[in-house]
Amino acid sequence: MKIAVCIKRVPDMESRFKIAANGVSIDETGLKFDISDFDAYAVEVALQINEKAGSGETTVICLGPDVVQETIRKALSMGADKGVQLKADSVPADSLAIAKALAAELKDGGYELILFGKHSLDAMTGGAGTMVAELLGLPCLTAASKLEISGSKAVARRELEGAAEMLEFPLPAVVTIDEGIARPRYPSLKGIMAAKKKPLEVKGAQLGEVRVIVEKMELPAERPPGRIIGTGPDAVPELVRLLQTEAKVL
Amino acid sequence: MSAERVLFVFVLIVAAGFFSLNVQRLVQYLRRGRDDHRLDHPARRLWNVLRIGIAQAKILRDPVAGPMHAGIFWGFLVLTAGTVELIVQGIVPGFTYARFLPRPVYLAYSASQDAFAALVLAAVAFAFFRRLVLHPRRLDGDKTHHGDAYFILGMIGGLMVTLLAMFAFDGAANPGALGPEKFVSRPLAALLAGVAPATAASVAHTSWWLHVLLVLFFLNYLPYSKHLHVVTSLFNVFFSNTSGPGQKGVMKAMDLEADVEQFGANDVAQLTWKNLLDGYSCTECGRCTAACPANITGKPLSPRKVVINTRQRLMESVGGLPLVQEHAATAVDERHLLDDYITEDELWACTSCRACVQECPVSIDQLEIINEMRRYLVLSESRFPEELQPAFESMERNGSPWAFSPADRGKWAEGLDIPTMAEAFAAGRRPQVLYWVGCMGSFDDRAKKTTVAFARILKACGIDFAILGQEESCHGDPARRMGNEYLYQMLARNAIETLDRYQVRTIVTACPHCFHQLGNEFPQLGGMYEVIHHSTFIERLLEEGRVPLQTEEGQALTVAYHDSCYLGRYNDVYDAPRETIRRALPIAKLVEPERSRDRGLCCGAGGGRMWMEERTGKRINAERTEELLATGADTIAVACPFCMTMMADSVKSREADARVVDIAEVVADRLAPG
Repeated sequence: MKIAVCIKRVPDMESRFKIAANGVSIDETGLKFDISDFDAYAVEVALQINEKAGSGETTVICLGPDVVQETIRKALSMGADKGVQLKADSVPADSLAIAKALAAELKDGGYELILFGKHSLDAMTGGAGTMVAELLGLPCLTAASKLEISGSKAVARRELEGAAEMLEFPLPAVVTIDEGIARPRYPSLKGIMAAKKKPLEVKGAQLGEVRVIVEKMELPAERPPGRIIGTGPDAVPELVRLLQTEAKVL
Repeated sequence: MSAERVLFVFVLIVAAGFFSLNVQRLVQYLRRGRDDHRLDHPARRLWNVLRIGIAQAKILRDPVAGPMHAGIFWGFLVLTAGTVELIVQGIVPGFTYARFLPRPVYLAYSASQDAFAALVLAAVAFAFFRRLVLHPRRLDGDKTHHGDAYFILGMIGGLMVTLLAMFAFDGAANPGALGPEKFVSRPLAALLAGVAPATAASVAHTSWWLHVLLVLFFLNYLPYSKHLHVVTSLFNVFFSNTSGPGQKGVMKAMDLEADVEQFGANDVAQLTWKNLLDGYSCTECGRCTAACPANITGKPLSPRKVVINTRQRLMESVGGLPLVQEHAATAVDERHLLDDYITEDELWACTSCRACVQECPVSIDQLEIINEMRRYLVLSESRFPEELQPAFESMERNGSPWAFSPADRGKWAEGLDIPTMAEAFAAGRRPQVLYWVGCMGSFDDRAKKTTVAFARILKACGIDFAILGQEESCHGDPARRMGNEYLYQMLARNAIETLDRYQVRTIVTACPHCFHQLGNEFPQLGGMYEVIHHSTFIERLLEEGRVPLQTEEGQALTVAYHDSCYLGRYNDVYDAPRETIRRALPIAKLVEPERSRDRGLCCGAGGGRMWMEERTGKRINAERTEELLATGADTIAVACPFCMTMMADSVKSREADARVVDIAEVVADRLAPG
């Protein structure tokens, strides 16, 4: 089966973030980047589908500057067959612009299945997948926690609050992937070596007009440190006073 | 030439020819393995042969089987001189060394033949007794070849019996021919006084034939037996690196750019010829397996089985000599050493503690085979316990096998007035010593106390040191031990770059894994530093009287020191930590557990086991803690953050009334105030 997986390069979420001097993005110095977690699940799902079928082709598509080639290689080292970089100076905040660029690439690709992570770990908009489906006129299923392919049909499971639903839909389709569906494999050195020789095509991203922009970015307010006001019953009056006047919870 | 002599010469040529043909075959099979240069430092290698081979230094580690084996081995060496004499007699009748040896030397030689024949016979009798009655546990398991052992012992016994019979009947046939130097065969001959001389002479002659034929049969049986070690083990000791030359326990760097089909070994062809020679040299004594912490606690790993399997698979794959081979159901080329002989679970059970390597009397390197196969699993197939993936990913992303923020690495030092290298360089200073804290020491709450204790000692002694702080990052040793050489080299090169940027020369560290990696394995990648473990460093400071200690006596603790594998067996540091405790706290009573020093039992955390679940059998740290507490100690001292975690966990879970401390904490507690 011909499968496309759209992936994104994101910073490691364990990092200590700083706002860049321009005030609208994070300072990338010292940050480690990797494929976004949900996107890695999506790659794994694609690989497993094709492994099970014994044939097929998995293409990974990533939008961004040349550094994203590293992310594409990571997916190739896991076992994807080819990569496409939709080259852009940066990844815009406008999901529709991203979706349009992706749809332009996907439109004539002959893909039977297009996979996304349910949302990126950094921006978390979750918009690109659904918008691509709309632009291509394909059925769309979000946050799948299980995906079974049988012929030209697919069945997906979605986790709900206290329940789960199974949905059937025809292919081609767009599916966004939730966590827990499959553990992304760790690339072997053999895979890493093989990935260096796999095709990676670079094309300009047809973003069109970008209408949503980041105006300002700020870090969450730091929590004030705890304070010890005393010990034992003697400290109680002061505690009550502070809870009334400072914390205003009483 | 008599018909008998012709017959003998014919038998001799056939036997020698067949033996040399088989030796050539065995050498040919070794060529299936990869190249490995093992001719460096020939003097050191010869010394190993003398010490470990000829003097039986490692064999004698077992007080029961050791002398028994040494008796047989030395007996064989001495008796071989006699065998040569006897064989020459078959070609040149009446030949004797007496023709050219000075009389006293010949008499001594003659006496030695009697003495060692009796000694070997006694040793063989004891070997039978040991196997049949004492029944040591280590000889069982792994489908060892007991029948082969009895057959060989029987043959050795037969050789001695025919030899002594020949001497004795010879004496009976020629009364007065045996001098007092034949102190065994002369009394035997006296017992045969009633036998007619002609009969005695013909029995003696028959004994000679039997003896010589048995020698030739024995020689030709060896290539089909686990007793091939008779032929190979001295060579194996010569070619082995397990007792030097070079640093012990070092994993060799792989060429990751190599254009190869696969990385690591899943079959014998990817092992080195030396690994295959190990297979020839194993006589299944089981000392390795008996010392293996995984095996002792019920895990599926047996280092002996790894070696036996290597030999079996080699013989199977080359269609070679049926060297105690097993017959398989599937086709030979569909089978591999991995999975068909050795399972993944066996390989992942290894703590890399080196106890097996330490014990092997013929210097087999079981660990190298295990490590090469782990490399295959990870690098070629990405097959490993799932718990390892987060550790790998975290090392890659965060520079530590645990998911802590790299920004917090130097947090323990806040408020302690300890400069980072960056700060020192910015101030125009170049600290003499770098304190490499390590991931455990930086992030683990318990280990951080050791880190602070050691830093306090350094400060109290006025050592000019700095840390790397946020710039420190894992050197990759855990990845290497878990088979991920790719990740290891990435991290190691990165660490070397950082160290070289600050022109670091001397490094101290409280972690034996960091100590081993930085000091012994970094040179492979060009990182050359003098690395000192904190036990040695503190001991030197104490010896030089530079540590300002309190004058009061302190607590009279009973301390059991637990040896870290990477400090002890890998680096021979046994005394420094003990001496540190003695010097810092002279009234402390040091007690030793049953397994200590180079026989010390692993804590269970090495070889990446720290990051794996221990699902099978008894927990290794429980086994070790029980042993340490059995000494009556109230304090368990360690010199490794990994051992600390393992021991502390186990002490806590059994609610034992004992403290686990690092040796640095013992010393820091004794620092004079101010």
